[in-house]
Amino acid sequence: MDIGNRLEKARKAIGYTQEKVFELTGIGISSLSAFENSEREPKISHLSKLAEAYKKNIEFFLTDEPIIEDLMLWRDEPDTNEEKKKTEAEFRQLCEQYHRLEMITDEVKSVNLPYLDVKTQDFEYSHANRLAEKVQKDFLLGDIPSMSLKQTLEEKYYVKIFHLPFNGSAISIFSQDFGPAILLNKSNKQWRRNFDLAHELFHLLTWNIFRTPDSENDKPSEHEEKLANVFASRLLLPTDFVKAKVESSTNEKGQISFEALDEIAREFGVSLEALFWRLPYLFNNISAKTIESCISKTKEINVSRPPRKSDDPDELPERYCSLAIRALNEGRLSLIQFAKYMRIGYKKAQEYLTEDEEFTDEKVFISVARYWADYKAL
Amino acid sequence: MKKFSFLLLDTGPIIKLFELGIWDDFIKRCDVTISRTVAEQAKWASQDLEDIRIGLDTYEKTIDLERSVVTRFHDKFDPLYKNEIHVGEKETLAFLHNSSEPWIVCSADKAVFRVLGLLGRGEQGISLEELTDKIGLQIGISWAKVNPRDADLWKFTKKFREKYTRLGQIDRIQGQGLV
Repeated sequence: MDIGNRLEKARKAIGYTQEKVFELTGIGISSLSAFENSEREPKISHLSKLAEAYKKNIEFFLTDEPIIEDLMLWRDEPDTNEEKKKTEAEFRQLCEQYHRLEMITDEVKSVNLPYLDVKTQDFEYSHANRLAEKVQKDFLLGDIPSMSLKQTLEEKYYVKIFHLPFNGSAISIFSQDFGPAILLNKSNKQWRRNFDLAHELFHLLTWNIFRTPDSENDKPSEHEEKLANVFASRLLLPTDFVKAKVESSTNEKGQISFEALDEIAREFGVSLEALFWRLPYLFNNISAKTIESCISKTKEINVSRPPRKSDDPDELPERYCSLAIRALNEGRLSLIQFAKYMRIGYKKAQEYLTEDEEFTDEKVFISVARYWADYKAL
Repeated sequence: MKKFSFLLLDTGPIIKLFELGIWDDFIKRCDVTISRTVAEQAKWASQDLEDIRIGLDTYEKTIDLERSVVTRFHDKFDPLYKNEIHVGEKETLAFLHNSSEPWIVCSADKAVFRVLGLLGRGEQGISLEELTDKIGLQIGISWAKVNPRDADLWKFTKKFREKYTRLGQIDRIQGQGLV
């Protein structure tokens, strides 16, 4: 694809008009048209400005390789298309940068997420439950899955997980280029993010089931979204543990207070509403109508508990930062590039510069030789 | 006095020269050329540096290459090297690589020196320490006392340049980095 087409595609991908680009970059509309129609070759200074505005890495404009257009799945997408495209562009750029860091540090890993062999039309709630059980077991998530799910996905399965503030809940993508990735809303409460993460994980695990080349609509159907919720609910609220917790908190009449349920929801890292919706699956005598009434009641009454505390997650994953620091210090990433990748200023970026022992007198190390000898002697 | 000519400057040294308040003195002694994108980078980088104003908006000796020139240079590298340097540095190096004149680039970036070593053009890189010494500009830094723990100054030393140029040269010998 020639540079003109690439420029036009990149502009449209972020939803900008040529007028908007002029506002952002100062590049005249006639010049922009000439570039997009391949009537004039852009200079590097133009491309640099356009890459910044389009949230693209400059390499995108220096290559002729075909553009891979991966689909992004949204949970609660924003009202305006412009906002949606802007968030997608920012997320994609971060994922591409992450992948570049993996490449230059020789840390590209193959991703082997669990898989369920079921056809799209046959996928039922029972399959979503089975998949959640499998994930809980394979990922070694333990009694409280929300505590380790994100870390396991990032460190063991190399899923790229970012947090940004945006309008919407979450986005997932399974790219041919950079693999599986999830974007969570940094502004959402921790328990909401936990559920979104589990929900998006369902989409990643079933990507090839629901997104077949001959599928008519790539957007998740209502049924698929319900399946993802069932999966998330089952994953974060494991049957036996939650049931035991609820039963141990009931009174002699078999009732449980909202306060006790709130306590359980906090423990499992989910919202009270999510726990309510899990109850009919755990106790057959509870109807959906009862749950709906309970949820509306919780909004009316004051639960005598302090407000729940949420955390403030870092925008960039820890592994991403580690790879960037390593690349910088091995001389594989320039300081400016590093600053941009890390979303920090130049001054701050300089603080990450270190030298290896070749130039330092002090060496810090731990000797394991003696212990190894002791071990061998056993 | 004859000016030191064919000199390309990268972001790090530009910022340092402005920070030390010796930019005007420096350009009296050197015929400096800067990539327009590098000038933009320097301006961006100085945003979070207090009391430093990088005034290069009206600087005339700039280069602004066409995309195809940088692309040809870019295509010489394998993917591992393609991604490691910022566009301003890429443009500076593409210019140096394509020119038949004896250009020298003054940088403080590991990746820039590494690429020069890889291209077999290590002698076309220079540190600020070597450059100020060459042009006889006193900048009040005792380079012999600068050690690697001093992150602010270490990158401007000759030893720093030599180390990362050597890493690129090793890649070249091992057949890595270029297609």
